[in-house]
Amino acid sequence: MHQQIIVNITLPVFLLICAGIAPLLVSQYHLSFGLQVFMMLALAQSWNLISGMTGYISFGQVVFFGIGAYTAAILLPLGLHWLPVIGVGTLMAILLALPLGLLTLRLRGPYFAIAMLGLNEVVRIIATLWVDLTNGGSGISLSPTLLPDLSTNYYSMLILAAVACGIIWVVHGSRFGLELRAIREDEAAAEMVGVNTTYAKFVAFVGSAAIPGAVGTVFTMYNSYINPTSAFAPDLNIQMIVMVMLGGSGTFWGPILGTVLVMGLREILWASLPALHMAILGVILLIIVLFLPNGVLSLTSPKIRIRFDLTK
Amino acid sequence: MNTVTIAKLLDPILKVEHLCRNFGGVKALDNVDLAISSGSITGLIGPNGSGKTTLFQCISGVDRGATGRVWLAGKSITGLRPHRIYRNGLARTFQLSRVFPQLTVLENLLVASTSKLNQTERALDLLRQVKLESYAQALGASLSYGQQKLIEFLRVLMSDPRLILLDEPAAGVNPTLRAVLWDMVKRLNARGVTFMIVEHNMQVIEELCSKVIVLAEGKVLIEGNFREIRNNKQVLDAYFGRAR
Repeated sequence: MHQQIIVNITLPVFLLICAGIAPLLVSQYHLSFGLQVFMMLALAQSWNLISGMTGYISFGQVVFFGIGAYTAAILLPLGLHWLPVIGVGTLMAILLALPLGLLTLRLRGPYFAIAMLGLNEVVRIIATLWVDLTNGGSGISLSPTLLPDLSTNYYSMLILAAVACGIIWVVHGSRFGLELRAIREDEAAAEMVGVNTTYAKFVAFVGSAAIPGAVGTVFTMYNSYINPTSAFAPDLNIQMIVMVMLGGSGTFWGPILGTVLVMGLREILWASLPALHMAILGVILLIIVLFLPNGVLSLTSPKIRIRFDLTK
Repeated sequence: MNTVTIAKLLDPILKVEHLCRNFGGVKALDNVDLAISSGSITGLIGPNGSGKTTLFQCISGVDRGATGRVWLAGKSITGLRPHRIYRNGLARTFQLSRVFPQLTVLENLLVASTSKLNQTERALDLLRQVKLESYAQALGASLSYGQQKLIEFLRVLMSDPRLILLDEPAAGVNPTLRAVLWDMVKRLNARGVTFMIVEHNMQVIEELCSKVIVLAEGKVLIEGNFREIRNNKQVLDAYFGRAR
């Protein structure tokens, strides 16, 4: 019980405090790196909600990120304050997720994965061709005077990461989370014991779309430039998957651990092997699938997992 | 109102009319009509491929490609999705164990509950009844096949169903656990729960079932008590083939 309090309450609060005071202590470069870590953590947890919990592997989660990113890029030059823009970006992602969920969640297994990948491509092409709105392939550059400073963006991303983790925490311990995990295990059997699988998947899908929508808006504010290739980048989706699967899919701690490991590794590889770093991440994914299907958390003994409540 | 009175009010608890299910050119169910009395234990037997599991699939909503009508306690459940049928009081188990392998035993039971009150205590009590309470935190995958079948049975009890369809519940289960299972069926039946059981062990059918329905080639061949069907020539022909 004592250890569980340390892991479940003291450790997250300590990490949050450290992250909160970091802008006062670290350089701009490290602050920027921290922002990217929180961005990936929020995205990984959002992927975890739909794919880790239900087993519906999405290769199109990045489409919601792109929608959020473009919402910010289009609205900020109109003079809107950045805070409501985050809300609108989230809303736009949800509005897109509603029909997409109704259409795609009828599919299972690889069909769902491929449909989501295809949808991301469709939206990317629309963003490229709709020049009047998006400026096409040239993208949209934003004047720094329209954008919040790095510290503000850092805190925004930190809050989004904390919210994403909080959602996973609450869902995992809830009846709804149990239903999602039952769907992952055996959808037909779950339905046979009273789980409204269509409703549960739909809520998880829409919820998981909201987070990248918000993250996308903050990314535009941070990056000050967006184009279809960076907004709807399939490799961003692959990174989410690697992070969740490396740590432990369907768990609270897995994506946190996976994000820290991958971002740390990426930072090292990016500096030393810039051309190969994505290929190396691909190899890592292959190794995980082959040898560690339940992520690095599964390397700990069951006793330790129960003692420290890491099964969550 | 006692359980007998309630049972009479709900009679028949299950009614199936003109149920047909085709797979390509094969008639898996061919105009099946049947009625199950409330509070009874009915055996459903027939040779392999006679349509027993397909009938369960169609009644429970897993297979919604059939034509015909199904009523549960006077209410039509035709075309309803499985979770709605379950919430209406009809639960079933599968021929092969469908325990959720990466959920704990306790979670396996909790996910099937339809009430929010004291469900953990309820689940632990059910586990105690079959002496599996020490496995509450074990993963479903870590149990033996027989234990998994038993957990699957306990799981459907979490909703207090009125009618339970058991598809070969004792297949692959050792004699000790099998005795526990049949004992629970008898106790629940005494409390008014209706059962429909697909089972190949005729001794069990004789001992438990007040009525037996024989399916062959997707049709109801005959129904009656065990003694009536045991020496029926049509039943023997269906199982062993016609004498030349």
